[in-house]
Amino acid sequence: MPSIDAHVHVFTKVSPEFPREITSICPAEREEPAEKLLDEMEKHQIDQAVLVQIGGTSIEHHSYLLHCLKSYPDRFLGIGLVPLDHPQPAEHMAELADGTGIIGFRLFELGGPRDIFATTDVREFKTYPIWECAAEKDYVLWLYPRSIDAHLLPYLVQAFPQVRVVLNHLGMTPGKGKFTLDELGRPQIQVSGYNLNMHTTYRMARFENVTVHLSGQYAFSRETYPYKNLAGWHGNLLNDFGIKRLMWATDFPWILEEPGYGELTTIIEKLLPNLSESELVDIMGGNAKRFLRFPNRT
Amino acid sequence: MIRPTSEQKTQWEQEGYLVFENAIQGDQLKRLQSVFDYWAAECKEEWLDKVEGGEAAATFYDIPSPLEKDPIFIDLIDHPSYYGALMEFTDDDLILLGPQVRTVAPWPVSYTGWHPDVGQSNPLHIKVQIYVNDVPTGSGEFGFVPRSHKPNSGPYKRPLLQESMPGYKTFPGKAGTAIMFNSCGWHTSMDNASDVPRKSIILIYEKRTPGRIGPEQFAAISEYCTTPERRKLFSLAD
Repeated sequence: MPSIDAHVHVFTKVSPEFPREITSICPAEREEPAEKLLDEMEKHQIDQAVLVQIGGTSIEHHSYLLHCLKSYPDRFLGIGLVPLDHPQPAEHMAELADGTGIIGFRLFELGGPRDIFATTDVREFKTYPIWECAAEKDYVLWLYPRSIDAHLLPYLVQAFPQVRVVLNHLGMTPGKGKFTLDELGRPQIQVSGYNLNMHTTYRMARFENVTVHLSGQYAFSRETYPYKNLAGWHGNLLNDFGIKRLMWATDFPWILEEPGYGELTTIIEKLLPNLSESELVDIMGGNAKRFLRFPNRT
Repeated sequence: MIRPTSEQKTQWEQEGYLVFENAIQGDQLKRLQSVFDYWAAECKEEWLDKVEGGEAAATFYDIPSPLEKDPIFIDLIDHPSYYGALMEFTDDDLILLGPQVRTVAPWPVSYTGWHPDVGQSNPLHIKVQIYVNDVPTGSGEFGFVPRSHKPNSGPYKRPLLQESMPGYKTFPGKAGTAIMFNSCGWHTSMDNASDVPRKSIILIYEKRTPGRIGPEQFAAISEYCTTPERRKLFSLAD
């Protein structure tokens, strides 16, 4: 069974060949290319990875992601982005995904009412056409919703039970104004001591098409690696989603300097020490291979 | 003070719960409903702002500091319908930990899974859930696994579906019903498939242990606590 890193980012310096947005986390001159990731993967016996688009939602902004998928078709699958205000999201999604290795799209918003008591018709949610397209084309939806959107999830998941859903980064839902970069340039998300997602995203465990990433620990923990204070969250996710619906990921490149890629490859056994060998194999790649339909390496 | 009957004491010991129908009734219930609705509406926007900031869950909300908002909430804490039972089960050494005046939205999934609140090593921890509106079957009613509070029960595991929990019992009820349960026992809120929010008040008590609640915790309502019994219940200075 392959080991699969189920959520990483790669990007190059801004160039005419590979245009992208410039942000504080991805300044113009910074590059974290696929080859650097592959070096780390080789060193630590990781076979494959999911490249998640960063640097803009337009077709052009996906140039580097598409280049990597074409260059290493048996190593990577891709997740693209789609502008929420796109007049024809299905066209955008098809243009990016048809025969390219992009298997799905990441959403940060769900586009429904902020008040759960005002939730009415799911078809009125702004992302409904995206879910509709995902259902029709069998795309995966990669979700890292805002906390104000968390209550909208079950309505969409219920409406589209055939859509494969991956909740990113421990199923967390960042609050407005709670995102910063630390001194190493890594995302830091301020969260409350009590895990509020027990009452929202964790409740999605009932739906068999929903899986969760075990990743992003560095962004939520105030402790150093292996972030032992998050062991309880991992245990709850294991209890609720079960062994077959959890996927390990590193969130490369943000973890390269601290704690290091190699350290992240052993985090699951540290935070879930009672797993059997076969269960560990599932989380470290078996589930991603099956759920995301990774090709065999040639 | 109305002490529990021998049948009630046996049920409490054996099953881990008691139901008090019409615990709150008549004009008091009407006033409670009115006060609840007023403050729930007043506090809603603040809650939504907290949800947006990642500081509150999107699926339910509690009225903050309810005891300071209206004395009717204080009167629920030592309400004669169930206060005698609380005192009996804690050997007359009861403290209030706090109230949760809670509105739970209808949602495709219950906002919480099956769980116990405390372990067996905790001092006796009791909750009383009072329905403020009618809570029929399928609208977020309380669920409890009888006998799951006992040390030799289980092991239990949170199932994916609320109705998959072995041996559970649900407690639909009319407004004013109070359900007392040992929080060591596994409990939940069942799915709410209706279009009506569940409004309830959850009162949390414990058998006293030194220093558990400081005298400052409920100091803001000190003026309403004039009897020695009440001051003790609210951990206020004599």
